[in-house]
Amino acid sequence: MSKVPFIHVGNQVVSELGPIVQFVKAKGHSLSDGLDEVQKAEMKAYMELVNNMLLTAELYLQWCDETTVGEITHARYGSPYPWPLNHILAYQKQWEVKRKMKAIGWGNKTLDQVLEDVDQCCQALSQRLGTQPYFFNKQPTELDALVFGHLYTILTTQLTNDELSEKVKNYSNLLAFCRRIEQHYFEDRGKGSSSIRSS
Amino acid sequence: MAAPMELFCWSGGWGLPSVDLDSLTVLTYARFTGAPLKVHKVTNPWQSPSGTLPALRTSHGEVISVPHKIITHLRKEKYNADYDLSARQGADTLAFMSLLEEKLLPVLIHTFWVDTKNYVEVTRKWYAEAMPFPLNFFLPGRMQRQFMERLQLLCGEHRPENEEELEKELYQEARECLTLLSQRLGSQKFFFGDAPASLDAFVFGYLALLLQARLPSGKLQAHLRGLQNLCAYCTHVLSLYFPWDGAEGPPPRQTPAGPETEEEPYRRRNQVLSVLAGLAAMVGYALLSGIVSIQRTTPARAPGTRSLSMAEEDEEE
Repeated sequence: MSKVPFIHVGNQVVSELGPIVQFVKAKGHSLSDGLDEVQKAEMKAYMELVNNMLLTAELYLQWCDETTVGEITHARYGSPYPWPLNHILAYQKQWEVKRKMKAIGWGNKTLDQVLEDVDQCCQALSQRLGTQPYFFNKQPTELDALVFGHLYTILTTQLTNDELSEKVKNYSNLLAFCRRIEQHYFEDRGKGSSSIRSS
Repeated sequence: MAAPMELFCWSGGWGLPSVDLDSLTVLTYARFTGAPLKVHKVTNPWQSPSGTLPALRTSHGEVISVPHKIITHLRKEKYNADYDLSARQGADTLAFMSLLEEKLLPVLIHTFWVDTKNYVEVTRKWYAEAMPFPLNFFLPGRMQRQFMERLQLLCGEHRPENEEELEKELYQEARECLTLLSQRLGSQKFFFGDAPASLDAFVFGYLALLLQARLPSGKLQAHLRGLQNLCAYCTHVLSLYFPWDGAEGPPPRQTPAGPETEEEPYRRRNQVLSVLAGLAAMVGYALLSGIVSIQRTTPARAPGTRSLSMAEEDEEE
């Protein structure tokens, strides 16, 4: 069973961001070809930062914050399965996530500390972006795609509390960055799907 | 006057001031900033106020044991190596530390605690010899289990079908990470110019352990040795900030004669003692159970020897 997101090309299925990027690169299209070695190093480092902090914070919020878990996550995660499987699988996933949090040192963090970390991460991203249109000036790269993906999700997903999206909204250049990408690359997909303007 | 800050950390070995990554990082940061710490190098984590190493006891008696928090505390006490960094460089620091944690840390754990050859010949050997009795019997094993669990959880989602694939992938990513670090460092003395920052402390911790420990199975070590600027960086920091500790052990290229000659008098003494103890036990048992009897009177020498040979025949039967 492969993971989402995945692309289906001929009879090959490639899933998750890293392998998809590699696959597309092998076909001759790469966004980071124009970068020099030092910039490529920085790009990889910032991608890890996003994975390390934003992704973990999202996981934390989904699975370790009791209100969110109770009201949203359990129901959403268990919805494809019949009773009692939906409860069992949801609890199992929660237990797994909590174990992982403990292993990386996030086990004892409170929600406020997690939000603090998200703020730090956004601050770093905001400083790196500065006044440029994309992280490496004129052309978007894999880092832009990754950051957009996370920030857009944070800004548009309705949760029990809005503190996470508020943290992101504090940084006007990040907001502008998301709007710019949404307008430039997604505006022809139709106005039906949720957009940043409405939140 | 407030009490000085005390740092408890794992003691040194393999030519380094400490054998543990976190302890080494914190020590290096303290040396960079000149923080006045009273350093206790211990080999028993139960001697630390928090039960784990490294641990910092602040001047108010509070105990901090997470390395990031120790460094944050030192910063608050005005020992800040990142004071002169621009906002952009601060952001880069955060990004590169995430890179280290995601790509290098799993492989470091694997190299020292999971790879069987390395674990038995280097890691366990050091810990078992350094720790006091009876901890040396079970603590290294327990630490290994903890590290293995941590590694499993760190790489959980990326688990391909078998162990070898996973290992290959991990090492591939670590090699890429080292190359990236080398490219970022370029020909500078430190990552952000001429003065060391907290990122340098973290990077040094990883590199020093990978370079200095004499690993029988050192795949990453070979790659690292090929990155000249990183090796020079490591030696530079060691010679500048740890001139005495760095000279304790022999450099990695020499034959391993150094630390073994230190251990040799003890080993020889232990060997002699154990042989003597064995001999005494055997002779004592022989005498007590009558297998061998010593006749004091000289004319009875012949019967003495005869009884000896008879007793030996009995024993053979």
